[in-house]
Amino acid sequence: MHVQRIQPQPTPVPPPDFASATDTAERILVVEGVGKRFGGLVALSDVSLSVGRGSITGVIGPNGSGKSTLFNIIAGTLRPDRGRVFLNGHDTTRASPAQICRNGVGRTFQISRLFGEMTVLENLVAVAHGASDAEAVERALGLLDFLEITGLRDKWGTELSYGQRKLVEIARALMLRPTVMLLDEPFAGINPRLQNRIVDHLEALRQRGLTLFFIDHEMRIVLEICDTIHVLAQGRVIAEGDAAAIRSDPKVQDAYF
Amino acid sequence: MKSLVIIVVSAALAAVIPFVGSEYALSFTVQLFVFVALAYSWNLIGGYAGYTHFGQVAFFGVGAYTGALMMDAGFHWLLAAGAAGLSGALLALPLGGAMLRVKGPFFAIGMFGMARVCESFALGFDGITQGGTGLYLTPVTDLKPLYFVLWAIAFGMVVLTWKLDNSRLGIQLLAIREDETAADALGIRTTRLKIGTFVASAIAPAAVGSLYATYLSFIDPATAFAPMTELTTIAMVLLGGMGTTFGPLVGAVVMSVVNELLWSRFPEIYLALVGAVILAVVLFMPRGIVSFAMRRAWWWVPAARSSLRRLASRPAPSRSPKEAH
Ligand SMILES: Nc1ncnc2c1ncn2[C@@H]1O[C@H](COP(=O)(O)OP(=O)(O)OP(=O)(O)O)[C@@H](O)[C@H]1O
Ligand SMILES: [Mg+2]
Repeated sequence: MHVQRIQPQPTPVPPPDFASATDTAERILVVEGVGKRFGGLVALSDVSLSVGRGSITGVIGPNGSGKSTLFNIIAGTLRPDRGRVFLNGHDTTRASPAQICRNGVGRTFQISRLFGEMTVLENLVAVAHGASDAEAVERALGLLDFLEITGLRDKWGTELSYGQRKLVEIARALMLRPTVMLLDEPFAGINPRLQNRIVDHLEALRQRGLTLFFIDHEMRIVLEICDTIHVLAQGRVIAEGDAAAIRSDPKVQDAYF
Repeated sequence: MKSLVIIVVSAALAAVIPFVGSEYALSFTVQLFVFVALAYSWNLIGGYAGYTHFGQVAFFGVGAYTGALMMDAGFHWLLAAGAAGLSGALLALPLGGAMLRVKGPFFAIGMFGMARVCESFALGFDGITQGGTGLYLTPVTDLKPLYFVLWAIAFGMVVLTWKLDNSRLGIQLLAIREDETAADALGIRTTRLKIGTFVASAIAPAAVGSLYATYLSFIDPATAFAPMTELTTIAMVLLGGMGTTFGPLVGAVVMSVVNELLWSRFPEIYLALVGAVILAVVLFMPRGIVSFAMRRAWWWVPAARSSLRRLASRPAPSRSPKEAH
């Protein structure tokens, strides 16, 4: 692990109920009372949730319920109007995306954002911070091998199919050796065989200690692999718990099924 | 390897011209070196980082005036060129910090405006610059040293770009060009990189501006900040291929030769013909001559960013899935 961490602030003022020393051992990511409006539209209102270290945690919710907005706030791409985000007990609400990324958060995007006029290898190597060129290439090849996409190495970003892009984006995020991965709909629009392959890869990554936090509409997979699921509707968390609890929750059935 | 051969051969050819060529060949090549330096500098920020703009001539002009005023004060032209390069960097630093927050047409046109502002300063402060009359300098007696300094800057830029193209820094600049938001979200220090590139792209134009003033032994605002210089530079990079190692060189050579041939044969309509040639290339090779050749993978065309591919093709016995995380 060569991930650079934010040093503890000289005078940290952690809120008493979140981010205390014992708590961060279990909760790698804490979102506290986050709200976000776009003009008159309330995308998120008072969302609080946490992600257990080493867990697979899912977010589900109807279209437009604020899932991607939540991820963008955690990753620093958007600033919340209210509330705070803690990563490993440190407040990262105002940190830049690059800083948050270098503190261990890797992410993929709902709509592919590969670098189109660059090869897959270059897409990966570009984001290997701190490693030498040779190490970066070595790491990239290892990841392509791990995700079974070695054949794509010299293809251009623009040449890839939808599913291939999703895999390459996952590989690219893993180049950063993250401790948490934010995956925005990794299974959307992908055939079931490839979906199962991605599931296998994600579980293998979790075995190695990575925390996975993902959004998806694919209920079969979400209910199967998540330890904890948060259900968003109209910018609020309306339910959370394990698969059984979510399945039987009447509010979820109303809003979602 | 192929790249190195191309660089060495063309540099060697250019180096013998002052000994075998005519006066005319010499002046043609001096102009060519000026444009090669300008085109490569523009390629750094416009081609690699994707921040295309119409204001590079501001650095050329400011450099020309910095150098001319220093020579006027009695300093050697070489020292003046060094100071001019520095003035370009010093101007680019705050300008980049302010202007690189916006992109696309706003940055492009904003920089054009900056060049016009600089030009009006050169006109307005006539106590120092002699305004529209221009500054007359003592001509240098021997043009050869000047020629070789321009030669060194031009090929220095080629080598620098070749190194950049094969480095991770170059790939990170391309990532900014392709998708700055994603690059930022993946930990690439985009602000630092683009300001740094912008500053680097201002040094050679400013130094060359001063050397060009030395060559002409004259400078006035219309020459220093000529929009035609800007447009020709950009046309060369587009013609040759943006964000490539040899695009600016090929573009500058092709454009200069075509320009020269047409100008001498068809003086009345030569500008229209140059326009037609550019149009034809843009239509048939939208990414420029070099990109076109690279797609065809002709044997004599060096591949882009080949060093990574070479690293990747090395046999590596130790590669195991554990590497992945
Ligand atoms: N940049 C933006 N500007 C304005 N409105 C936005 C912006 N981003 C999102 N929204 C709006 O905020 C709401 C929440 O969007 P968000 O993308 O977070 O939903 P989502 O749950 O990810 O939906 P989906 O399942 O369709 O991806 C939507 O109504 C959307 O139109
Ligand atoms: Mg979404």
